[in-house]
Parts: sequence; structure tokens; C-alpha cells
Amino acid sequence: MRRLYSSLVDGRGFDLCLIGIPLAFLIVLSGVPLIYNVVMSFQAVDMFSLGSFIRPWVGFENYRQLIAQPEFWPIMGHTATFLAASIAGQFLLGFALALFFWTNFPGASWLRGLFLVSWVMPGLVVGAVWNWLLSGDFGVFNFVLRELHVISGNVFWRSDPTFSLWSVIIANIWLGASFNMILLSVGLSSIPGDLYEAAELDGAGALTRFWTITLPMMRSTIGALISLGLIFTLQQFDLFAAITAGGPSNSSNVAQYWAWDLSFKQYDFAKGAAISVIMIVVVMLASVYYVRSTRHEVRG
Amino acid sequence: MKTSAILGAALYAGAAALGMAAHAADPVTITIWCQDDERQPGLNLAKEFGEKNPDIKVVYRQIHFDDVTSEAMRAYSTGQAPDIIAIDNPEHALFASHGVFLDLTDRIAKSDVIHKEDYFPGPLASVTWDGKIYGVPKATNTIALYYNADMFKAKGLDPDKPPQTWDEMVDAARKLNDPDKNVYGIAFSAKASEEGTFQFLPWAQMTGGGFDKINTDGAVRALTIWKTLLDEKLASPDTLTRGQWDSTGTFNSGNAAMVISGPWELNRMSQEAKFDWRVTLMPVPEVGAPRSSAMGDFNWAIFKNSKHPDAAFKALEYFVSQDPRVFPDWGQLAARANIEIPPTGDAKKDAAVKVFMEQLKYAQPRGPHPDWMKISKAIQDAIQSALTGQATPKDALDQAAATIQGILG
Amino acid sequence: MSETYRNRLLLVIALLLAAIYLFPLYWMYITALKTGSEMFATPPSFWPDDPQWSIFPFVFQLKGMGRFLWNSVVIASGSVALIAVLGTGAAYVLARYRNVWVDVGLFLVLMLQVLPASLMITPIFVLFTLTGILDYPRTAVILAIAAKSMPFFIVLVRATFMSVPMELEEAALVDGNSRVGAFWSIVLPLARNGILVSAILIFMQAFGEFVYSKSLIQEIELQPSSVGLNAFMGPNTNEWNRIMAFASIYVTPILATFVLLQRRIVSGLTSGALK
Repeated sequence: MRRLYSSLVDGRGFDLCLIGIPLAFLIVLSGVPLIYNVVMSFQAVDMFSLGSFIRPWVGFENYRQLIAQPEFWPIMGHTATFLAASIAGQFLLGFALALFFWTNFPGASWLRGLFLVSWVMPGLVVGAVWNWLLSGDFGVFNFVLRELHVISGNVFWRSDPTFSLWSVIIANIWLGASFNMILLSVGLSSIPGDLYEAAELDGAGALTRFWTITLPMMRSTIGALISLGLIFTLQQFDLFAAITAGGPSNSSNVAQYWAWDLSFKQYDFAKGAAISVIMIVVVMLASVYYVRSTRHEVRG
Repeated sequence: MKTSAILGAALYAGAAALGMAAHAADPVTITIWCQDDERQPGLNLAKEFGEKNPDIKVVYRQIHFDDVTSEAMRAYSTGQAPDIIAIDNPEHALFASHGVFLDLTDRIAKSDVIHKEDYFPGPLASVTWDGKIYGVPKATNTIALYYNADMFKAKGLDPDKPPQTWDEMVDAARKLNDPDKNVYGIAFSAKASEEGTFQFLPWAQMTGGGFDKINTDGAVRALTIWKTLLDEKLASPDTLTRGQWDSTGTFNSGNAAMVISGPWELNRMSQEAKFDWRVTLMPVPEVGAPRSSAMGDFNWAIFKNSKHPDAAFKALEYFVSQDPRVFPDWGQLAARANIEIPPTGDAKKDAAVKVFMEQLKYAQPRGPHPDWMKISKAIQDAIQSALTGQATPKDALDQAAATIQGILG
Repeated sequence: MSETYRNRLLLVIALLLAAIYLFPLYWMYITALKTGSEMFATPPSFWPDDPQWSIFPFVFQLKGMGRFLWNSVVIASGSVALIAVLGTGAAYVLARYRNVWVDVGLFLVLMLQVLPASLMITPIFVLFTLTGILDYPRTAVILAIAAKSMPFFIVLVRATFMSVPMELEEAALVDGNSRVGAFWSIVLPLARNGILVSAILIFMQAFGEFVYSKSLIQEIELQPSSVGLNAFMGPNTNEWNRIMAFASIYVTPILATFVLLQRRIVSGLTSGALK
């Protein structure tokens, strides 16, 4: 009993306890639902049997049918474009803003806080506002571009198959840049200032200092942000529903919206689950990459 | 000693409270799920029914219309279903055919309040499955053509002779279209959702087509006309991603000269449209062709595993008995031919309601079919791929017909 | 270039950037003041013809916003508390060691939040029905949100712990502190800012959480603002001006609070504490 207590306070038990409880919590509340989806993707699902696990087993039939659908590969392609462009855009814009506000002129900290507006506005509202901003006829985006003489006629961001996916990406970059910025700001502010002073004495230019001090010091923050960016982007759903509804003609449809549409609009829960399993596999690969990248981290 | 006395008293009080609670649970409780808020019939009628029947406790849950079906499925499969639900009419068959709703045929036959023959054929068909009746139409709506009479006059068109055929409508749209003034000839919705199907299906039905014969020559001609409207920019390209409500918003703000939409717009339009607006019946393929229109709105139904089907049916009877109030109090149209629509004092609105009541006679349900949403999806895909130029209208509709054939078996 | 001149120039650029970035917020406010169809007018109107100021008190009363806001606060606070208590410890352990088990733990944490809430809600609903948690709907939502957002918290706070020098903790252990003591009095205070920022971000997310709340909470008395907001959208009607007014009422105070808080958190404390 004493040993147990001392282990809890001063040994392995302390660590196991700290990590064990949250993991158990997550496994019950997120793991079980995930498994439910995985199991469902191999079954024939009647929409009125959602409450039970036991259903006729069909093997890979759902997957076979899904891949045979003509929209499958285009939608996977859109998903990849959406992920890559959104994550890169959010991160670069967020980093640029964080560096800009890091120069610490008077008023910088106030203004920086305002940027979190995209994090606070409810998804329904963000979607609706971007829907109007990007609208072809009365959209402010076109209005400004016209006034600046960038375009001569209206661009139908939402309804032109060439642009529809990009209209959602633009909105998503806006949405995610702020949390990248705030967290990168926290990371930047924790880099000891004397490192820069020393480098400056050695005659290192601004760019060199950025590459040799800022980036390496921010490594764990950047790794965390990019993996979270991946997950947030994969979960992004409101914007698709509000701006394009995946249209026109699936040109802006992505895996997560398609999964929802199959499950809750066409009531084909098994195929919806099959897509979610494909998403899980993709994230699994990405997580392996993230975890491997943390190998090189140095603490402190 | 003292403590135990207090404890004893507390226990006694607790037991009494429990007894009371058990007693209080005796009145029948019925749960109603409906999307209506304070300004719509569902919530008000449910509340009134509870007040008029002290022995029945009514629990009302306002549920968003997008979620009605998925919430209901989830609740039913875990034994948490409500007693009464208001469900969108094309989804009624899904529940009825799975034996989830209570068969009301006999109860309605015996009822003094609900009479089958009072209802328009379209709404009645939507609650019917396999010859039995599984619900009661809650209200109904349809679509017709709104037009801006002031713009008609300005462009030399006669506002008393609105377009009656498809060709006349396209001609009118060409004349009314005025890009310099930011005015489109017409607005409608071809969105990749149920709204797109809702707007397109009537066109196919007027030519003898339907969801089971979606690739008739007439339907192909209809989709070709839609494509013409978009290709010539007589309608906004955003028609492809915009729902009916937002499309009609552009008509109200004076940026479209005509719009195809329903009576749910009447209140907003009479408040916000600062011009002479009117409504005419949906144009037909050619003079003398049969009319058709879409049929929307919700139905009441009782879940089969309701513990109090009698009380639930009594509630439905009360709702039906109040049908005459549905328009004057809440601006919706009852699904019945034998209800007088009293004047509202707004001449434009009164004239419009008359047109919609006429149009309702031709309204046809979507389906009924248990897999309606998959059929609808095939139609939406055809509309979208034709309008974006990825397939010709003929090929797109042939493809949809093949998919639908697979679903119908 | 003098210091003041540089500062002014930067401030002007910053204001410009903020103006562009905040435009959607401005559009939310302005749409609340427009009449229903004015928002569809071409060309767009940047200031309404006839601003409907009365919409704010009207919406507040119509939907009983006080109650909705209170429920949002309860749900968001509960979620943050649960996440902070469970997540901080997990993040600490995942930052302290570097072995295969930590890899597995990190991997699990990331994997478990891959699916959007809309795909998780059905199994969660079934789970909560079977266990009876559904009878306590707000608790049910707090649990669901905690499960969804905790990985986010763990990953971020772990990155913060990584920046706390290991030597400080070791020095404390050498001084005779127990592991608990060192964690509590040395490591935790040093990671305070990262934890606070992450907790605030979680609070804001939880405040607007929608998918779980609408499905798990059936009684209107217990629903949060996000669900109340959605009630303005019906079949064939979207009362955009009311939706925007409702959203404005709830976004503004949170944003203001955050601007005040983050100023202290991000700029003030860390650098001093670490030196």
C-alpha cells in the first residue's frame, strides 16, 4: 500500500495515472464510436437498426460499390487539394501575421487579439457570411476586385466548377489562420531574446536568424499545428454546407461532406461509414509521420 | 435520538414525495417533435391541446427541419422515439414502408374530424403507403411564377398577360434581362439538394414524365431550357448553388424580374418588395398541355411504438380541427380543398393566394418511395452535370433514369 | 528611420490587415441591421438604408437569449474544466519521455479525433442511451465535447511542456521535491501560458459547439445558444438578419474578453519567467 502510494506520488505510478485516465476516457468516448463506424462499414445497415452492433456482414461490398461510383476518385482528389491548400495557406498566413505582430509596435497585442474573431464566430454564421462575400452578383469579393480592376466581369466563385473548391479553401484559410497565428505567437514569445542578441553579435542577418533560431526553436509548435491543421481541415464541414453544398456537380465535394451526405441525406449509413474509414486510414498515415517527426524534438 | 427522529421524518417526507411523483406521472404524456416555432402552427396547437386536456401532458420539442429524419431514426432505433412527429412529405414513405409509423386507416375511417376526402390528392398520396394511411397532412405548399409587374411595364410587356408557356417565359426572361441595371430575367434554384429536385420535377411531370420516367423528350426539353436560361445569363450562374429562399431574395431586392417559388415567400415579399408583384401559374410546355407543380410541406404521423396511440390520435384530431386557422393565424396553407381562405387586407397577397390555391390542384407528391432521397440525388446529379456542361441534357437524364431504374428494381 | 515613424507605419499596416481580416465580422453586424432582402441587393450596400437597431433587443427577448447564453457558459466551462484536468497531465507525460509507448500514446490521441462530429454523433447517442447518461443531457454534451477537443489540448500543451527546460525539473527533484511536488510547483507554473491559451481556445470552441448539443439536448430549457441560433432557419426560410443579430450578441462579449486576456497571456509573462 505504501509502495503504491509512493509510486503514485513519486514514481512511475504518477506518470501512468496522468496518462492512463485521459486515454481511457478518450478510448471509451472516441474509440468506441470510431470502432462502431469501422464495423458498420462492413455491414448492411438498415437505418432503423442504428442502435445495435449486430447486422448482416457484407465484407468489402460497401467499399467496392463506393469505389465504383464515378465521383469517387474526383472527390478524393478534391479532398487532397483541399487539405494541402488549406493547411499550407493557414499556416503561412498565420506565421506571417505572427511574425508581423511580433515586432511589437504599440497596439500590436490589442490588434492581434481581434484576429481570433474567426475562431469565435459560429460555423453557421461564418458559412453564411462567406456565402454572400463570394456570391457572384452581390458578393463583396467581386465588388472589390472589380473596383480594383483585377477582373472585368463577375467571377462566380461558388458556381463555376473551376473555382468552387477554391472558394471554400479561401474561407477555410481565413477560418484557420487565426489559431495558427495565436499559437505561433505564444511559441515566438517563449524564445529567449538573448539567443538573437548573441546571433546578432556574430553578424547573422535577419534571414539567417530566422532559419537558425526561430524555426528550430518552434519545431514542436509547428509539428503540433500542422497535425492539428490536418485534423481541423478534415473535419471542416460547415463551410461546404453553407457555400457550395459540394456542387456544382461535385466539383467542390470532399470526403467528409460526401460521407455526411451519404449517411444523413441518402440514409446510406454503411457507405458513409466506409468513407470515414478511408479518412481514418489517411489520418493514420499522417499521424505516423507526425509521431516520427517528434523523435527529433529536443526538450527545453 | 433527536437525529434519528429527524432522519425518520426526512425518510417519511422522502417516501411521500416519491409517492406523489409516482402519482403525478399518471397523466398520459405525449411527446411531439416538430420544426415549428412560436409563429407557426405546430407549437401553438400542441400547447393548446395540452391546455384543453389537463389529463394529457404534452411535451414539445422543436427540431430543426434538416435533422428531423436522422434524429427520428436514431431515436427510434434506441427506443427513444416521440409519439408524434411532423415529417417532410417525401420522407414519409420511408418510415411508413418500414413499419415505423402507426397505421391510421381505421381510426380515420371512424373519426368525426378527419375525413380522407377533404384532402388534396397530392398530400393524401404522400401519407399513403400500400393502400393504408400512415399520417395526416399538416399543411401544403407548391411553386408558381412570381413576376415584377413594374418591370413588365418598363420593358413593354403586358403585366396582365404573364407568360403561360415555357417559350413565352424564356422570351419574357430575354426581354426583362438587363445586365446594366443588375437585373436577371428570372431566378430559380438548381441547387444540388432536395430543392433542385423540387423545382425540376414539375417540368418533367408536365410533359408526361416523372421520377420513374425522367428521360422523356419533354424532360430533356425542360432541362435544355434551364440550360439556355443559364447559358444566356438570363438567370444568375449562382442558381446552381443557391436555395429558393436566397434566390427569391434577389427578386425582392429588384435584381430578378421573375422567380419560381412558393407561398412561404408571401409574408416576406409583402413586407419587403417595393414594387407591384404578382403570381401566375407555372408555365406549361405548350398551350393546353397538362399542368403540374411540386408539392411541399410536412405531415403528422404517430410512431407505432407510442405508448398512448389514442391520446396521440386525439391530438391529431385537434390539429386537423384547427385547419381553418392555419392561414389566417400562421400564413400556411392547409392541405384541404374545403377550407375558406379569408382575405388578409393585402390585395397583392390575396390575389397571390388564389393563384397558389389553384396551383395546388395540380401539385404532385415526390414519390412516394422509401428510397426517395436516392432517386432525388440522381435527379440532382443530372441537373448539375447538364447545367455545368459536363453532359448534354439528354445524356445526363439518361444516366439518371438508369440509376433510378436500379433503385426502383 | 526613427522609432516612432516605424511604429506608426507598422500600426497603419496592422490596422489595414485587421480591417481586411475582420471584414466578415463587420458583414455579420451589418447584415443584422439590414432588412431581409437588402442583403441580396446588387451592388452590395456597405451600410443599410434603414438600419433596424431594434433587432437586437427583439432577438434577445424573442428567444430568451439569457437562458441560451447561460447554458452555453455551463457547457463550455464544464468542458474546459474536464479537459484541463485530464489533458494537462497527459500532455506532461507525453512531453517528458521519449519512447515507444509515448509514440503509441500520441498516435492514439491524434487518431481518436479524426472524424467530424456529424459522423460521431450516432454512435455517441447510442452509447449515451445505453448507459443512461442521456438523462443528464448537459453532462452528456460536456463529455462528448471533452472527448472531441481533448486531443487538441493535449497536442498543444505538450508542445508547451517541451519548451520547459528539463534541468529545472531535475534541479527541483535533487532539492528533495517529490514528482508531484516538482510537477505542481515548477513545471506547471512555467507552462501556464500555453495551458491558458489552449484552455481559452477550447472554451470558445465549446461555447459555439453545435452538433452534439442539438442531438443530445432535447429540452429547450437546457439548450445552448448555437442551437437557439439554428431555430431561425426553417424549411424555405432563413431569417438571416435575426441569425446575425443573435450571433452578434454572443460573439461580441467573448471577443472583447479575449482581446483583454490574450494581451496579458501572449506578450507579458513567458519571456520573463523563463529567463
